[in-house]
Amino acid sequence: MSTSFRRRARGAAALGFVPVLALAACSTGDASADTDDGSVRMLVNITDNLTQAKWEELVKPFEDESGIDVKIEGPSGQSVAESFPALLAAGTAPDVIQSIVPGPDTAPELLDLTEYDWASDTPMADLYSTDGAINVVGVGMQAQSLMFYNADLFEEAGITEPPATWDELDAALAALDDAGVATPIAFASDWATGVQVQQIWHPQQNLTTPGWQQSVADGSSTLGDQFQPVLEHVAGWVEAGYTTADDVATDSGTQEANFIAGEVGIYPMGSWFSTTLAASPPDFEVGVFAPPVDDAADAPGPMGATIAFPYMVWDGTANPDGATALVEYLVTSDEAIAKQAEMDSFSREGLEPSGNEYAGQVQELTDSAPSYVVPGNQTVGDYALPVAGFNPKFTELAQGLWQGRPPADVAADLTAWYEAEKLG
Amino acid sequence: MARTTSSRRGFAGSLVSGLMTIPAAAVYTGLTVVPVGFAVYYSFTQYNGIPSQPPTWVGFENYARIIQDPIGDLRPAVVVTALIAVAGAFLVNGAALGLALLLRRTTPFNTFARVVMFYPHVLSALIVGFLWQAILGPQGAVNNLLESRGASSLPFLADPDWALTTLIVVIVWAQFGVQLVLYLAGLQAVSPELQEAARLDGAGSVQVFRHVTWPALAPTVTVTIVTSVLSLLKVYDVVLGLTNGGPGDATQTWAYEILAVSFANNKVGLACAQAVLLVLVAGILSFTIIALRRRAEEGAEAVG
Repeated sequence: MSTSFRRRARGAAALGFVPVLALAACSTGDASADTDDGSVRMLVNITDNLTQAKWEELVKPFEDESGIDVKIEGPSGQSVAESFPALLAAGTAPDVIQSIVPGPDTAPELLDLTEYDWASDTPMADLYSTDGAINVVGVGMQAQSLMFYNADLFEEAGITEPPATWDELDAALAALDDAGVATPIAFASDWATGVQVQQIWHPQQNLTTPGWQQSVADGSSTLGDQFQPVLEHVAGWVEAGYTTADDVATDSGTQEANFIAGEVGIYPMGSWFSTTLAASPPDFEVGVFAPPVDDAADAPGPMGATIAFPYMVWDGTANPDGATALVEYLVTSDEAIAKQAEMDSFSREGLEPSGNEYAGQVQELTDSAPSYVVPGNQTVGDYALPVAGFNPKFTELAQGLWQGRPPADVAADLTAWYEAEKLG
Repeated sequence: MARTTSSRRGFAGSLVSGLMTIPAAAVYTGLTVVPVGFAVYYSFTQYNGIPSQPPTWVGFENYARIIQDPIGDLRPAVVVTALIAVAGAFLVNGAALGLALLLRRTTPFNTFARVVMFYPHVLSALIVGFLWQAILGPQGAVNNLLESRGASSLPFLADPDWALTTLIVVIVWAQFGVQLVLYLAGLQAVSPELQEAARLDGAGSVQVFRHVTWPALAPTVTVTIVTSVLSLLKVYDVVLGLTNGGPGDATQTWAYEILAVSFANNKVGLACAQAVLLVLVAGILSFTIIALRRRAEEGAEAVG
């Protein structure tokens, strides 16, 4: 074998191993290496209200007090819900996760917070615990069952009182339509369709079947039966022209702008809409009422609610003490709670009423609610449906109402989906 | 002795050549073969993608579920994907070939027009989706213009049939730039002498195209059909930006079902089974198209 050949062969062999070496160099080592310096990584939701700067300002007092550096990270994908499982799969999960609640897949990856006394005192801890075990804590409650309305349009249509029953709501929508209101009730596309239809149904649904998720789970009711009545209401509104197919092709941001522009009579949405209203106050009076119930004597019904600013701790964190200390600070410190209320409004017992007049109205409604109930897309706790992806599927099927699908067919598909998903 | 030396040199040359392929083979194996192998393995498991919760072997359960489709998820998505692939392939290739014929001569205007035509392909598909949503949405630029002139708005994205048609048109707009470049390159290779000879024989423009240009373009047509069908089969980003699969499930594609439904719900095993089937369908379609086009390409060789 010639010298030149041997040289070329060695060169070729070296070249051949370059990619292997490069791949080895690129591979991650210890997943917890990032936090070996005692810092804590927190994955948060970044929105117009929840900016990186506001998050950093929120944790600054904790950093000053504890000496722990908190690294704020936005989602690498479309959302925290999408990013967290991906980061778990990559072995680079953050120490603290904000904005989502555990699901069946992620729950085993989270630190059990039950042993911490402060955890059981946090708002909605009872509704988010499974057999008493707590793995997510929050600072308050975000009301889901809210109907924002244009009081000026109501007055023009001769509606003197916000509707309390379904009959009164139908009458109010007819009056708004007769008065020439372009959109008596507005729904929006994507996730919003499903959330809104659920929001308007929470009170009566939970009056008819308290703990309805458990009834569906134990087979004494079906998912379709639970939602068919509200699907029939919505189908009737579509048929009457109170809401059109354009609604479910219009994103929620645009529909919110339509409401603020005075083109919408009623807009079902969660309490976070009050922050949007405060940022762009309409030039008309805005009111808020609870979704209707069948019998006026039952009004207001149970309030659909979700945990505000939920926090979870990754079980694999290299710094469990620092991570839990940060979460404890965020959910128990008066200063941190007040700061979070400024960032995105929520309700909490003892919290000073917000300067935001719309949030104040929401607070009045939540104070008058007889109880709080979790929505169908709740993924943790004793009231969680044993399926994943409820709201996307509910949205997809509910949008069929705007295309003329009979409510009974939509309800039947919901039941079929649940039966297939709970098995798989 | 001379033969031995020659044989050794031949062996050495082969060895060196073999070793030189290692970098490419390693990269290909690491970035394609291994991930595809894992995907095939996961397709036979129930797995949520979280390493601490190992996959459970379930055999063909995921494939059985896809075939049974108990909640009617994948079947409509396959139909939508097939419509996009068939209609899209015709429209992409028709538009690209037509424009290539118009822009084949190199003039300053044609050069500018080629850049403009290729530009949509440079944009992120997601941005293309959002852009056209802003233009064709219920309160988009087109409907605002129609309403300002007293006309009724059009349900580009609100009606299921309109939404699917709109999606196909937007995908064609976003994709035909690449095919246009391929057709322009193919047209450069068509013998001008042959075309000139045909004209001297009295052939008109249509006859020259039909009997000279089109047969000579056969290999290019095969490539453009295969590449356009493959990219149309995996359409996802435009859907996400333009309709997010709606209204209802009217514009959910096969890839959307994999990425936005199965993966989003941490059903990695099911998603991998859906992906494996999509790869198989893409492979079968590609080989079928190539086989069907073989005769036309033989004609091109004769023309060449």
